[in-house]
Amino acid sequence: MINLKKYIIGTGITALALAVSLSFTACDPSISALEFDLPEANSQEDLTPPTASFTATVSSDYLTYDFSNTSASATDYVWDYGDGNTGVTVDGVNTYPAEGVYTITLTASDKLGKVDSYSMDIEVVEPEVPAAIYPEVLNGDFEDGTTNWKPENCTDCSTNAFNSSSDGSPLLYDGTESGASKTGGAKYTSSTSAGANLSSNTRYGYQAIYVSPNTNYILEYEYAIKTDNEDVDGGDRAIVSILDGYYDDAAVAAASEPLVSIVGDEASGKGVFDTVKQVFTSNASGEVSILLYAITNDELYIDNVKVYPVE
Amino acid sequence: MKYFKYIALILMGNAFISCSDFLDPTPSSSITTDNYYTTADELETGLIGVYAGIKGINSSSKDDNHGVQWEFYVTEMRTDNTSTKSPDSEDASDAGQMESFAVLPTNNFVLNYYTSSFETIYRANVILENLDVVEDEATYAAIEGEAKFLRAYSYFHLVRLFGDLPLIDQVVDPSDVETQFTRVDESVIYDLIISDLQTAAEGIADHGYKTRASKDAAKGLLAKVYLSLETPEYAKAQVLCEEIMSSGEYDLLDDYYDVFYSELNDEIIFAIGYNSGIQDNSQIFSAEFMNAVGHTSGVNYATTDAKAAIDEYGGNRTEVSYREDPLTLFGGTIRYQVGKYFPDGETGGSDGQTFTGLPQLAGNDWIVLRYADILLMHSEAILAGAEETTSATAIDSYMEVRSRAGFEDRPTRLTKDALLVERRVELAFENQRFYDLVRFNEAQSTLSAFAAANGFTFTSTDLLLPIPQNEINLSQGAMYQNPGY
Repeated sequence: MINLKKYIIGTGITALALAVSLSFTACDPSISALEFDLPEANSQEDLTPPTASFTATVSSDYLTYDFSNTSASATDYVWDYGDGNTGVTVDGVNTYPAEGVYTITLTASDKLGKVDSYSMDIEVVEPEVPAAIYPEVLNGDFEDGTTNWKPENCTDCSTNAFNSSSDGSPLLYDGTESGASKTGGAKYTSSTSAGANLSSNTRYGYQAIYVSPNTNYILEYEYAIKTDNEDVDGGDRAIVSILDGYYDDAAVAAASEPLVSIVGDEASGKGVFDTVKQVFTSNASGEVSILLYAITNDELYIDNVKVYPVE
Repeated sequence: MKYFKYIALILMGNAFISCSDFLDPTPSSSITTDNYYTTADELETGLIGVYAGIKGINSSSKDDNHGVQWEFYVTEMRTDNTSTKSPDSEDASDAGQMESFAVLPTNNFVLNYYTSSFETIYRANVILENLDVVEDEATYAAIEGEAKFLRAYSYFHLVRLFGDLPLIDQVVDPSDVETQFTRVDESVIYDLIISDLQTAAEGIADHGYKTRASKDAAKGLLAKVYLSLETPEYAKAQVLCEEIMSSGEYDLLDDYYDVFYSELNDEIIFAIGYNSGIQDNSQIFSAEFMNAVGHTSGVNYATTDAKAAIDEYGGNRTEVSYREDPLTLFGGTIRYQVGKYFPDGETGGSDGQTFTGLPQLAGNDWIVLRYADILLMHSEAILAGAEETTSATAIDSYMEVRSRAGFEDRPTRLTKDALLVERRVELAFENQRFYDLVRFNEAQSTLSAFAAANGFTFTSTDLLLPIPQNEINLSQGAMYQNPGY
């Protein structure tokens, strides 16, 4: 019986000791309490990881770019603008120090630590202002007679442009002295005049040229009138115009609304040339044409017709 | 009794003969779009119905299509020009979402503008579908042109507001989910717009109405389309503007006030017409811009930012463009109301709320395109995306608008910034500002700065509205949302 008692007490003590020790052990939560739980239980996969993307637009000054953030499922952003500058805003903006190619990287992340990045190269270049076209006025010095100045058609007028004359300006086309007292020129008389003298003999010089659209140009020419006879309404005068567009028929051309029209009406005498010039702005297409004619009862000369851009 | 068989025979014969059409009548109560249009006249009445789609319904119901009457919510109020009466970054109402660049896909104004516009497109498509009832060639071209103009008008607004869109260029069956909800690339939408407007500029007849699409309206709108393309067609836009300018049909009015208060004047190229006092033909926006006169407590109020710009650059346009809300004269925050659309010209007395007529049934037209816009587009086309231009023709057009406002300081060069500011003040509160900012590539920088200064949060994805959640849901997964929503 005693042995039995001892045995029970012994067992009891042992059990108690074990229980105590176990209870101490079990207090450590890292071990047995979570032993059979799987890690990540009840948590879900990040089904919508971030995707980074953006677009770039150059703003008013060519060095500054606006970046539009088009990322999806992201909350935080890091911009690397490729020139050492960085940013953490949603949309980006950066001013580059100089021309060059820069690689912009956007790193988008969400709060679960998923990350995506997207890179794009941009080329920063100063936009070139295209130089204005320098139109070549063919036979602008009239050394080759009416070549290049004859209109294709002339309804109720003549396609002969003008009378080829050797009584043109003493200046060459480039403005320097020819050394001679005169060069080739275009001549109009009462029979080839427009205005009140309009007839099937009336002549118009016509030439199509191409210039830069919407650009400021100067039209310039020289003219000489022998005498102003006072018998032409408005006086003897030379008229050189720049027309909006190309024309098949000089009569239609003469009736159109010109971009610019310069009238020369100083009668300084035969061989004494006056220079006139005026600024005009070319049209949307750059297709313009030159029209020259005279209203006169006398001898009238036109020479060195020039069209060049305003510097 | 022996005649019995003859009687029976006659009766039987009758039965065969007399049943011809009595049992097979044309149902007179079921006229549908499929069977209504039989003549050109009927088609023309249908065409008026397409305009009615843009004109919208004057009511407070959110379910009615309000067309252009609610356009200011989705355009002007999303810029630095206007806001609700009391701008507040915490205001989550449908109107408040606009001013603070926090638009939700469930926003009703967005849904309303979207469905209104597609309703107009649908009606235009019905007209185009029934064109074969027109026999006269010129009438055919005229009706086709007007219907296509209206379709292009609606798509042009939508594509700039929403980006990629479903391409509905014919009447589609309601069960055709794929066509209705598949978004196609912006460029495809623009192709349709351009070809529609080209057809319109060719075919529309000279009917003499400014409240109907004209050839010049089509040209003017097409010029704006060319300027709005991803790769703008500046030269084409310039030529179109010049055609309108040299037509001699239009002129700037001497008095800026008259542009808005003498309807259908020489400056107007295309306007949406309203008639005062008639529920079905009037508009509500004039009242909404007042202080608690319309269905709201007051929306589309001028911001202090817009006021400052107009004060500085407006010249004699200033007093026409906005006024101080008379109600705030007696204390409280000073606020500014849009001055271009007072209901039938009535300013509302000393408190701005007292009218002799019915301000909720206002007859002021909505101006879509006017000559000053054409002139400034002309300058814009010549500027061609550059920083500045010295072109005399560009400066001429710019100065024509400026000198009407009382400025004579002709610049030697016209800058992009100056042109954008000029458009802002000349066309203030005419629902142009948003599109101008986007077209000039200045939306992101300008609106970011404006939002930061006013406690709003702007991100570049706010430049496109969300596709209405309704549409996304109906599409059964076919339609994707714009980024950032």
